[in-house]
Amino acid sequence: MQSVVVADSIVTRFGKQVVHDGVSFTVGRGEVVALIGGSGSGKSVLLREIIGLKRPASGRIELLGTNVWEASAEELNVVRRRFGVLFQDGALFSSLTVAENVAVPFRENTDLPTDIVAPLTGFKIALVGLPPEAGAKVPAELSGGMRKRAALARALALEPEILFLDEPTSGLDPVGAREFDRLLRTLADSLGLTVFIVTHDVDMLLSVVDRAIALSGGKIVADGPVTAVRDSGDPWLRDYFAAHA
Amino acid sequence: MPSWIERKVEEGTDVLYLQGAWRLPHVAAIVDALRALRLKPCERFVVDGSALSELDTSAAFMLLRQLTSVGCTESTLSARGFEPRHLRLIELVRARMATPPSSEHSVHLGVLERVGAAAVRVHRQLASQNAFVGQVALEVASIARAPRLFRPRETIAQFEAVCIDAIPIVALVNFLVGVVIAYVLGVQAQRYGANLFVADGIGLGVCRELAPILASVVVAGRSGAAFTAQIGTMKVEEEIDAISTLGLSPIQVLVIPRLVALVLALPLLVFVGDLAGIAGGMLAGTWQLDIAPRVFLERVHDVLDLTHFVVGVVKAPVFAIAIALIACRMGLAVARDARSVGENTTSTVVQCIVWVILLDAVFAIVFQQMDI
Repeated sequence: MQSVVVADSIVTRFGKQVVHDGVSFTVGRGEVVALIGGSGSGKSVLLREIIGLKRPASGRIELLGTNVWEASAEELNVVRRRFGVLFQDGALFSSLTVAENVAVPFRENTDLPTDIVAPLTGFKIALVGLPPEAGAKVPAELSGGMRKRAALARALALEPEILFLDEPTSGLDPVGAREFDRLLRTLADSLGLTVFIVTHDVDMLLSVVDRAIALSGGKIVADGPVTAVRDSGDPWLRDYFAAHA
Repeated sequence: MPSWIERKVEEGTDVLYLQGAWRLPHVAAIVDALRALRLKPCERFVVDGSALSELDTSAAFMLLRQLTSVGCTESTLSARGFEPRHLRLIELVRARMATPPSSEHSVHLGVLERVGAAAVRVHRQLASQNAFVGQVALEVASIARAPRLFRPRETIAQFEAVCIDAIPIVALVNFLVGVVIAYVLGVQAQRYGANLFVADGIGLGVCRELAPILASVVVAGRSGAAFTAQIGTMKVEEEIDAISTLGLSPIQVLVIPRLVALVLALPLLVFVGDLAGIAGGMLAGTWQLDIAPRVFLERVHDVLDLTHFVVGVVKAPVFAIAIALIACRMGLAVARDARSVGENTTSTVVQCIVWVILLDAVFAIVFQQMDI
């Protein structure tokens, strides 16, 4: 299987504190992978390093065959058009309506005419299960769950090959979270998306994820199918799954 | 240039062959190709995907949209030759596209509507400002009854930020304006050989009007904006709600320390402004009009009654109250998003400056009537 995300011996330091001490893993095309770990284990930092927002102290990150931290700004921007990111709180532009938010990637990165962008935008909003009237609202008028869906519509706008999600179900009620899981699985299966999720939602792991990578103490402690990770015997993972049952 | 779609008639049925990579970058060309077919309603179509190399949701959506718009339904359409993943994708798109697409553009108001909306907004703002003044007055009264509710440490911290830190900029602005006014006055006064009267103009002008106005404008831009941004960000982060649920009053915790700090700070800043403005005037007088600094100061001493100084300083606490109350209210009125913090901060500065000048005009009339 072709690898679309490669992390090789990543080391991250904040001052003297070592957050990642040689973290390596790969994600194959079409996989739905979750990165799990306790609060403060550096999951979100690792995600920011993969998508080119924060430079690791050492190590190599390859995204769709491009070395993220050696690529020029132009090369990196080409890669950036091929993946979408859903930030933890959605990170929708607060001065724009939902529809305008979703239209931003089309406007900035394609030369499609308005009579194609407008229906496409409407379709993307419907694709993530938002009602049509949500398009005219500004983010402040939406609930947390709707904001996440709107942000997902924006992340999916340019038909990305990889989708990165940071805590997609945090702040959602269990019903909303499971609906989001189903939506994600449907999209991943139908669109052939590679999905990389940072989460600590065990239900999400069990229902949508093909493979889990567990980060603890700055190292990968388990990497494999969710059931294998659960039974791996690592004390932190045992507590983690036990807390759920 | 690949042809995206080809239409053939086979054994009496219309077949649409989809070809190539149906992806977002080519959507515009695909839509043109679809339109060029000039499909007619009520025809039966077979859509063949065997030559399709790639398909994404945008292209699939445009295909289905075009077919639906000419009246094709599930009963008049059939698909064949698609890869399973493409079929799944088409199925997903068809399930989700049932909802009518929303328009991207927000509503634009006409001129009359804008004027009306602005009038209503001003009315609401004045009403809520009024209510806020009442609220703060009640809280001040309750502090007067129970002085331990007052927060000296927070007040001192605010005082440092709004007064001590503002001294250099207030001094600089007043000094420069003093230089400019003395220079401009001097050009006129020289023609009449009335050089020394520049000292009169500077002494009275700076102390009565310029120093209070300039200090207030600087404070409105500096501290007023800071108050709104600080309190507004706290509102966004739900800190204000946290203060309320801890049984504290946000007005006592946030507003009153800022109010007290500003009421104490502004008269002092006006005094600093007086000194700096006169110093600026004196400098210009020495340079341009050959008035010795000692002579200039003696003249100022002669013409500048204590009344003039008091008139300037007395206005300051009133301006301070206006600035603090507007800034804090606008901070508390922030909605829960980042844009709102910026909008309210801008509005604070505008409102503060307008109110300071308005109040100054009222003072001018009152003092005139009182012959001061």
